[in-house]
Amino acid sequence: MFHNRAEAMALALPAAVFAAAVFLLPVILLLAEGFKSAEGWSAAAYTGFFSEPINQTVFWRTLRLGAIVTVVSAVIGYAAAFAIVNLKPGTKGRMIGLVILPLMISPVARTYAWIVILGRTGIVNQALQGLGLTDGPLRILFTETAVFIGLLQLFLPLMIISLISALENMPRDAVPAARVLGANWFQVFWKVILPLTKEGVVIGGTLVFTGSLTAYITPAILGGSKVLMLETLLYQQVSVANDFVSASVIALILIVMSFAANLLLKRVATARNNR
Amino acid sequence: MIQRLFAPFALFLVIGFLIGPFLIIVAASFSAGETLAFPPQGFSLRWIAKVFTVESFRDSFATSMMLAIGGTFCALVLGIPAAYAMSRYKLPLSETVRTIVSAPVIVPGIIVGLALLRYFVVPFGIGITPALFLAHTALVLPYAVRVVSASLANLRSDIEEAAVLLGSSRLGAFFRVVLPNIRGGILSAFILGFVTSFNQVPVSLFLSGPGVRTLPIDMIAYMEIVFDPSVAALSSLLAFMSIGIVFLAERFLGFSRYV
Amino acid sequence: MKKVILASGVALMLGMGAAHAQEKTLTISVYAFAQDEFKKIVYDPFEKLCSCKLVVETGNSVERLAKMEANKANPVVDMAVVSMADALAATRSDLIEKIDTSKLSNFDKLYDIAKDPNGDGMSVGYTFYATSIAYRTDKMKIESWADLLKPEYVEHVAFPNVTTNQGPPALYMLGQALGKDSPDLKGAIEALGEKKDEIVTFYVKSSQLVQLMQQEEIWAAPIGRFSWAPFTKLDLPIGWATPKEGQTGGMNVMVLAKGSKNQELALQFMDFWLSTEVQAKLAEALVDSPANKEVKVSDQVANNITYGQETAESLKLIPSDVALDNRNAWLSEWNAKVGQ
Repeated sequence: MFHNRAEAMALALPAAVFAAAVFLLPVILLLAEGFKSAEGWSAAAYTGFFSEPINQTVFWRTLRLGAIVTVVSAVIGYAAAFAIVNLKPGTKGRMIGLVILPLMISPVARTYAWIVILGRTGIVNQALQGLGLTDGPLRILFTETAVFIGLLQLFLPLMIISLISALENMPRDAVPAARVLGANWFQVFWKVILPLTKEGVVIGGTLVFTGSLTAYITPAILGGSKVLMLETLLYQQVSVANDFVSASVIALILIVMSFAANLLLKRVATARNNR
Repeated sequence: MIQRLFAPFALFLVIGFLIGPFLIIVAASFSAGETLAFPPQGFSLRWIAKVFTVESFRDSFATSMMLAIGGTFCALVLGIPAAYAMSRYKLPLSETVRTIVSAPVIVPGIIVGLALLRYFVVPFGIGITPALFLAHTALVLPYAVRVVSASLANLRSDIEEAAVLLGSSRLGAFFRVVLPNIRGGILSAFILGFVTSFNQVPVSLFLSGPGVRTLPIDMIAYMEIVFDPSVAALSSLLAFMSIGIVFLAERFLGFSRYV
Repeated sequence: MKKVILASGVALMLGMGAAHAQEKTLTISVYAFAQDEFKKIVYDPFEKLCSCKLVVETGNSVERLAKMEANKANPVVDMAVVSMADALAATRSDLIEKIDTSKLSNFDKLYDIAKDPNGDGMSVGYTFYATSIAYRTDKMKIESWADLLKPEYVEHVAFPNVTTNQGPPALYMLGQALGKDSPDLKGAIEALGEKKDEIVTFYVKSSQLVQLMQQEEIWAAPIGRFSWAPFTKLDLPIGWATPKEGQTGGMNVMVLAKGSKNQELALQFMDFWLSTEVQAKLAEALVDSPANKEVKVSDQVANNITYGQETAESLKLIPSDVALDNRNAWLSEWNAKVGQ
């Protein structure tokens, strides 16, 4: 740890000043509009928003879907990242390449691919019927399930990549040591791996949760507009109603949700450390 | 033993899930049919050929590449020192800096676009290309800072302290000791940043203007009314390009050894 | 060597700057649709004609209006094409100026409905389209808009989302068919809401419909005529319905940005776009249906676009002020009944 303050500031300030000027200030100015009213500052727009039952429904649905996508991607992400870091260097590189690959394809094109896969005559339904699991085609497309699948595929790579770099930097002997000391796999994960990869899961989790919250195209197309999410409402306010006040209200709600998720993840990941 | 067998199988499933849609898109790019389908209807190169005849794709591809590469590069130039300062110095406002820098990740893109247009671009009369460039840099910055931080976090700081004690300058120690060790992190940050910038839609939507458009916006515009396999073909071409980039990165930086 | 390259680079840039300064520039804002065809048929020939440079902004009507609004103090765009309702919105926000139609030599050749769509002299229609139902002729018979909700059909129907351009017109016709045609579209939205679980999807992008039709996911969907051509390429029997309540549709119009410094040039451009020659070429390329009544096209082309005096006059368009005044009410009604 170095102690020269001036040097530290000189290194960190350009980034902070840049982000504040180009990003933070304009966004704050826009969000402030949500608190303006005829008689000065007020939170009326927010209480108004939450007093409508439809908005509450949409809020909870968005929160639920975001949380499920995040948890599922963390579970799958750990398994996949573990399998990948234990591979030989060459294979590992190729696997990481395969994980990154879907990120390069336009999200819109990917939703169209899901239409092919999840449709009544799609691969999934053909497989289910072929295996005799269902009699007729299931309706998967244009349901919340389809939105979940689409979001998971969209954001899982971010989780896996974050976890891979965290796992790579974990001391090699930590897991074997814990095993030798008699910890079972669950304890190893909870007490050793999770704290040591906390940075990765916090970053990955925040990216996945925020991404699911603010995705527009996937719920719109795969949900068939029957799965209304906060981002859909936000988009409607901007593009149809031209109501920037309502838009900034929804935006701040989304931001607070992301922020809260970030804090929660940090807590979950670090709480173990202190025991 | 069970774990030995289980891990590759689970990985196989996950990778299958992730690239399944991609395979559909690649298959469709070479199909002779009018829509996406699996199995594809016949084989033809007409959709691939069509991509190259759409004139606007060429300009917007160049714009997107410039924004993605330049913006990510600038973000790394700003972000690496910041990440380093936060992990190696006792910085009084460390958390504040981290929050400011990573804020773009948690704000919905459509709001960022609108806010930048109304409170940054218009009041200061910033041109379209510079505005897009600045916005993309800001959007990529969180990835640069966070991913590089993650790889710094577990890199023991006593190595560079030792280098400094042995007479190397702080800067020299950074370039000779730290940088080579976080190459993988920087590369991951670059790839994430590149992808984020390259696929960015909502912010670019508001900041693009007469004569300047990014590729995803062009693609979405094209898809608004027609979705023929040429969009799939373009997507596959872009994906193959990125495979090439990752491959080269691996060749020159030994990426898998460092991630 | 490096210096030479640098110097010549600078010289080149200076030279370009000089050439730029001499040239007049017209900035237009249009739909991001068939831009390659527009470039060939409209932009390139016009640049040659006026020896000026065209800079094109593309995007949907709403975003481009939002940008015009943000740039109000210092307009970037000289002329724009938007939907009829958005033209009225722009008038109300004081973004556009009256069009001096005496400067448009082709004005008299337009169909009457295109001459002054909002009745305020602020816009001129350049194309219109019918909205009706594309459907599988082997699976169903569509004689009325209400047929879409028949129990044997409803599970094979995609309906446009209220936020799309096709949404409100389709709802308007559905309301007429159900005998509940109030401007708030309540009756139609309610009827849809009751069937929301059966209806396959409320689409936001008409491009996905071809895919869904091909996969036999849907049999019918209300669409605008401009997205009809791809359906005809599918290997399926798909027809264009002529429901007894009639067809609805929409019109796109040209507007002149307030405070533009290139008004003369903008008017010249509008006139060029409205000319019989250009409108005929756009029709033949199946890009836009002509608003110029002198345009004659082959039967084959006419089948793919919205063509002719009779069709033009029969379209039941939603008046712009009704659309604008009810937009938010439609949206909240829709969210409550359909999006819940």
